[in-house]
Amino acid sequence: MKHISLFKYGLTVLFFLCATLTFAQKSQFAGKVIDENNVPLPGAVIRVKGTDQATATDANGAFHVNSTQQAIVITVSFIGYDVAEKSMIANQPLTIQLLPNSKSLSEVVVVGYGTQKKSDLTGAVTNLGTKDLNPGPITNPLQQLAGRAAGVSVTQTGSEPGTSPSVRIRGITSLIGGNDPLVVVDGIQGNMDLLNQVPPSEIESVDILKDASATAIYGSRGAPGVLIITTKKNKAGRTSVEYNANMSVDAIPKTLKVLNADQWWEQGQIYGVPASANHGSSTNWVDLLNQTGSTQNHTIAFGGGADKFNYRASVSAILQTGTVIKSNYKNYIGRIQATQKALDDKLTLTMNLNSGVNDANYSPPTIGRAAFTSNLFSNAYVSRPTDPVLNPDGSFYSDPNVFQYINPYAVTQTVVNKTHVDNLFGSLRADLQLYKGLTAGWFGSWRRVNGNTGYYLPAASTVSTAIDNQGIANISNYHQDEKLTDISLNYKVDFGVHHLDAVAVYEYQSQTYNGNFAQAKGFINDIATYNALQLGDLSKVTPGDISSYKNDRNLVSFLGRVNYSFNNRYLLTASFRRDGSSVFGANNKWGNFPSASLAWRIDQEGFMKNQNLFSTLKLRGGYGVTGNQQGLFPQNSLQLVGYAGVTYFGGQSITNFVISQNPNADLKWETRKQSSLGIDFGFLNDRLTGTVDVYTATTDNLLFNYTVPQPPYPYPNIVANVGSLLNRGLEVSLAYQVIKNKNTTLTLAGNASFLKNKVLNLSGSINGVQLNTDYVSWGSNAYLIKGRPIGTYNIIKHLGKDATNSETVVDQDENGIIDQGNQSPDRVFEGSALPTYNFAFTPSFSYKNFDASMVWRGSGGNKIYNAIRANLSYFENLGKANVLENAIPLGLFHSQYGSDLWLEDGSFIRWENLNVGYRIDTKSKYISSLRLSLTGTNLLLITKYSGIDPELNVSGNNTSGVDNGIYPRTRTFSLGLNVVLK
Amino acid sequence: MKKILTSILIIGLAAQSCTKVNENVYDKYEAGDFYASPKGADVALANVYSQVGGNWNGVGYAGADNGWYDLNAMSSDEQVIPHRNTGDWQLDFAQLYQRQWLPSMGIISNTWNWLYKSVYTANLAVEQLEKAKADESKIAEAKVLRAFFYYLLIDDFGNVPFYTDNDITVDKLPQADRKVVFDFIVKELTDNVDKLSETKGGVYYGRFNKWAGYALLAKVYLNAEVYTGTPKWTECLAACNKIAQGGFSLHPGGANGASPLGYQYYELFGDVNPTDETILSMYVTVDIVSRNILTIRSLNGPNFQALFGYSGWNGSIVPQEYYTKFDANDIRRKQFLVGPQPGGVDYSTTVTSLDAPGAAPNEGVRDTKFVPAVPMNGGGASNDFPIYRYADIMLMQAECNVRLGNAAAAKPFIDAVRQRAGLGALAAAPTLDNIYDERGFELNWEGHRRQDMIRFNKFTLAHGFVPAVGDFRKLFPIPTGALDANKNLKQNPGYN
Repeated sequence: MKHISLFKYGLTVLFFLCATLTFAQKSQFAGKVIDENNVPLPGAVIRVKGTDQATATDANGAFHVNSTQQAIVITVSFIGYDVAEKSMIANQPLTIQLLPNSKSLSEVVVVGYGTQKKSDLTGAVTNLGTKDLNPGPITNPLQQLAGRAAGVSVTQTGSEPGTSPSVRIRGITSLIGGNDPLVVVDGIQGNMDLLNQVPPSEIESVDILKDASATAIYGSRGAPGVLIITTKKNKAGRTSVEYNANMSVDAIPKTLKVLNADQWWEQGQIYGVPASANHGSSTNWVDLLNQTGSTQNHTIAFGGGADKFNYRASVSAILQTGTVIKSNYKNYIGRIQATQKALDDKLTLTMNLNSGVNDANYSPPTIGRAAFTSNLFSNAYVSRPTDPVLNPDGSFYSDPNVFQYINPYAVTQTVVNKTHVDNLFGSLRADLQLYKGLTAGWFGSWRRVNGNTGYYLPAASTVSTAIDNQGIANISNYHQDEKLTDISLNYKVDFGVHHLDAVAVYEYQSQTYNGNFAQAKGFINDIATYNALQLGDLSKVTPGDISSYKNDRNLVSFLGRVNYSFNNRYLLTASFRRDGSSVFGANNKWGNFPSASLAWRIDQEGFMKNQNLFSTLKLRGGYGVTGNQQGLFPQNSLQLVGYAGVTYFGGQSITNFVISQNPNADLKWETRKQSSLGIDFGFLNDRLTGTVDVYTATTDNLLFNYTVPQPPYPYPNIVANVGSLLNRGLEVSLAYQVIKNKNTTLTLAGNASFLKNKVLNLSGSINGVQLNTDYVSWGSNAYLIKGRPIGTYNIIKHLGKDATNSETVVDQDENGIIDQGNQSPDRVFEGSALPTYNFAFTPSFSYKNFDASMVWRGSGGNKIYNAIRANLSYFENLGKANVLENAIPLGLFHSQYGSDLWLEDGSFIRWENLNVGYRIDTKSKYISSLRLSLTGTNLLLITKYSGIDPELNVSGNNTSGVDNGIYPRTRTFSLGLNVVLK
Repeated sequence: MKKILTSILIIGLAAQSCTKVNENVYDKYEAGDFYASPKGADVALANVYSQVGGNWNGVGYAGADNGWYDLNAMSSDEQVIPHRNTGDWQLDFAQLYQRQWLPSMGIISNTWNWLYKSVYTANLAVEQLEKAKADESKIAEAKVLRAFFYYLLIDDFGNVPFYTDNDITVDKLPQADRKVVFDFIVKELTDNVDKLSETKGGVYYGRFNKWAGYALLAKVYLNAEVYTGTPKWTECLAACNKIAQGGFSLHPGGANGASPLGYQYYELFGDVNPTDETILSMYVTVDIVSRNILTIRSLNGPNFQALFGYSGWNGSIVPQEYYTKFDANDIRRKQFLVGPQPGGVDYSTTVTSLDAPGAAPNEGVRDTKFVPAVPMNGGGASNDFPIYRYADIMLMQAECNVRLGNAAAAKPFIDAVRQRAGLGALAAAPTLDNIYDERGFELNWEGHRRQDMIRFNKFTLAHGFVPAVGDFRKLFPIPTGALDANKNLKQNPGYN
């Protein structure tokens, strides 16, 4: 986008020079063009209506026009803004404010290895500009996308500081991993963690490539979709200093209701809990661990430039204090982006440098008794309300009569769990115009991540392993090195009604991962925590206390794409990519990924000229093949020998080496074939616009850990390409501008997506031998079953309870035996763990300086196995734990089943976001714009789900759909401030 | 146009140089190279022994949980972990004890998978040792280990898939008749045991030497009638007599203040199994090689805490009818904890419920046969586990003699074992019941009981909480997972 605006600016200046030579000077017209923030707009183009006359604004936004007329009408245009038409009278200076065009940011879409005009797109791409992104206390860019795009499901499980949401584009494409979309930030490709390095307020636009015809250009990494993030650039010739801040208070809207001390003892007497288990206190463990959290987001950004050079730099701080005590997160990001032109403007160099530091104190994620482990906060529900927090001597209370008792408050006060991550990435892009229409480019990026986690679990934490070992301390370090380089050739040509834009690219990517872990046990005090492992008792070192690893992968690609348009009506995009990946078998390294798509701009046809109903009408269709290798761990094709602890042989303990896996020398690309059909339409001069897309995608050669027979295999699974998955979906987005006039706009917008997935097959042959894989456990009581959706619940049906208050269940095959095996006939199908629909409603309103917007979103069609409710519902546990209030009416003493009693509807509607803003008109000498906003998030949740929040892991992995207790999701209220200095 | 072509050419050349996508391995070894190295074959053999030690997730012969030991011990009459009415302990163990197991039970598939992974590692060791032209005693050792695993397989599962070369696909891997595998085991052992080292202890501690090889052969013969219908008492006796040539004797049993529980007898179950009596040990140093959870799993939390400083798991108990059979003077009765104990617990002999609503926390007799040896922690202790010991062999000699109609010859063997335990000699020549009972007293919690109960035709009888069951329960079912993965396998009768 940068290059284009520079180019246009240059052209306009040229045009202006020519124009001034031609016309005689009579009357003077002067004016100034400013943007929505009252900042001068240099480079805006002024045309005098009815003439060829044109000019552009200077660095201060000022312009002058001479005319023989006393009054003229001018049009003012600037990329990204609505064209303004104004009357001018000679010698009466006029200030013209341009407002961002609702469609402006969509005019140019980043499609990977290039850009395209939105009107020329042939694939399914959602483009979101700054104002389409969710406002508020944002800590990860994905939160800005929730509800904003059809077919893009953003799911946040709980609000633990520093944790990221997950995103799925058009469902689950793979079972082995690799369902996370490729993230491309200013050309740098990476996994989802790259998003932690993008300051949310510095995002200019997000382009989401959804269908294969759009993503195939990314070949092997494109199957799960692509998120392309373009950060803000400095506008040519303008100096800007901007400060953005957002500060929120975060509170927990809901916790599970467990028994208080009186209720607990009342029930305890009913269920025969011995008085010795009642320790006489009244403790609300949930309140004890809970606090009001806060999120702060500050960014200062500045930029400037001259004719051939411009830059933008920013420093951001994201500071979060969690709603569970002692959990917090700090993220500092500094970035600088600079562009320089040289060689008579034929060479453009663009450099990006981004460095970030994350510091987090995480609440221990898996802790508890053998019978129930969850995150720390969920353990607060388990603790008996009659237990004291402290012993009379001030030490933390613990009950030796309860096996592996933990005092969750002691854990918050004594356990250290710190993570530091340093991120550095940089890139350089060089574009050289070789010949008319022919450009060569070189791009290189290097990303390095160094992470360090320190963990100390002291005996004082009351955790039994810590007591046994007199403290456990460990440090783990990890390093990621990701390099990418590409060389590209781009050729654009117009001949007559034909337009051709072709690109050819060679790309090389390599990623290296290495790290180490060290642990010590047995500390005489807790002063040094994990900072001096050597202070531990070295005689307690056991296998596994020291380890390190290294692996790498590389990917070589050749790709080409042709965009051809005829008469601006018929558009064709065809691409081909050939990828070689190191992670496959020796003979199967390479895969071919073609795609083609067509679009017909019906609105451009002659026969559409005489109608007013359709202002836009475009039909799109495409087919493409993409691959998956990123989810596959390296080295699965090789027979390797690795470490497996210690064995005793020859009178001594020696290192044990073991064949580490079932190798599969035939491992090859998983491929996804997707067909997509879409229509873009606008009615009534685009008052009502919308897009409808349908797609069907089949993943073949599905990479998965298939079941193999033991014997002869030493391990129960082999990574192979056997099965296939089907995804089908329908996506609709609509926007209606109810009011659009000078002072007021009201837009109602929304989207909905429906998706169905099915496991087509999991069995097949490998090396000519039939493999039988089915009913693979994929969550709690959820399975992968041939012919059924991913995560289908196949579950025992609740019946009632018997005389001992033990749960009874339905004996489906009436053989007197309840078999809980995976394929047991006593199990029945009851829905699946993944939502089948998502929807969002995103209205926005503005009146003069005031604006407001909302996001409502929801999903449904899925079920949740409420495992934490089951855990907190059996009264046999009452002597050592607490139970939920709603367990009283059930009155279950014990169950040996995980029945559908705990299976609940997972549908919900959430009032995700309400934002109101006001732009304060200022006459200040220093401030050109000032905007204040108030945002509330998670304001209302409508659901039948009885747990804390039904928005749980639906990422499609094998823990989807189960609620084992989550870090609470917060409700936030925030104040935002945006100041632009002069 | 020329420029375009030149550019394409330059890019093409640049690209050509970087098209390699080979896999690099940094933190493991490629199997072929590794085993071909001088140490490779030895390492392959050592790896087979790593399969014997107990580990979490049901791996190993004994020591940890949910594996072969639990399957074979809990399904007998000597121990059970009741579900507790405080919500502790899953029902698997009570179901095993009451013979209600289903083919889908995790402990059954754990055992199957462990044994077949062990067979794989043994096959690998045989192959690599033969390739390396290793000492014949080592090749023999690997083959005997393989026979050991197959013996455990036919003992639990009957007709089982049989293979000796890892380079095989499942379609060429038939389910062999129990007798076919039995014949293979016998042949493999008779061909190889004499090639094994005669060294006891030292570098052969925890390994199959010649005597351990004969002990295995004797066990196979001992149960031949169960496996094939044809008894091999004479052959069993001959194998036992071979072991006697190894110079084994019963470890002293008498009172000794320095010994665990105050008797030298319990040294047999200590940190290192004494080699005077122990023929084959499973080596344990907790958290380093294997573990031994048998005592910590049994005692209630505060009791184990008071005695050893860690919280007990309050799991396995000795059923009342089993415990009450022990003579009051039997030093082997010292292993049991009944009544008030340190830590303020009071163990009852009676248990009110095994499943619903479950036993109260302090119900059931506890066992400290393996008095925890250091190093220990909340995850177990370091007591080595005796797989075969001479007392077992002597009782086998007694049994074979009785079965061969020579009860008089049997008497000295059983009497020696009784007298070491502080009991008197039998008043009369032993009956099979005497031997069955004596095996129960001497070898409880050592993993032999299920096999003994089946051989003495006691397995399907009712006792305590356990009703009589059909004969088909003498075999475990082929695990559901194995049947699903290999459609050619046939389930054992009674389990379909």
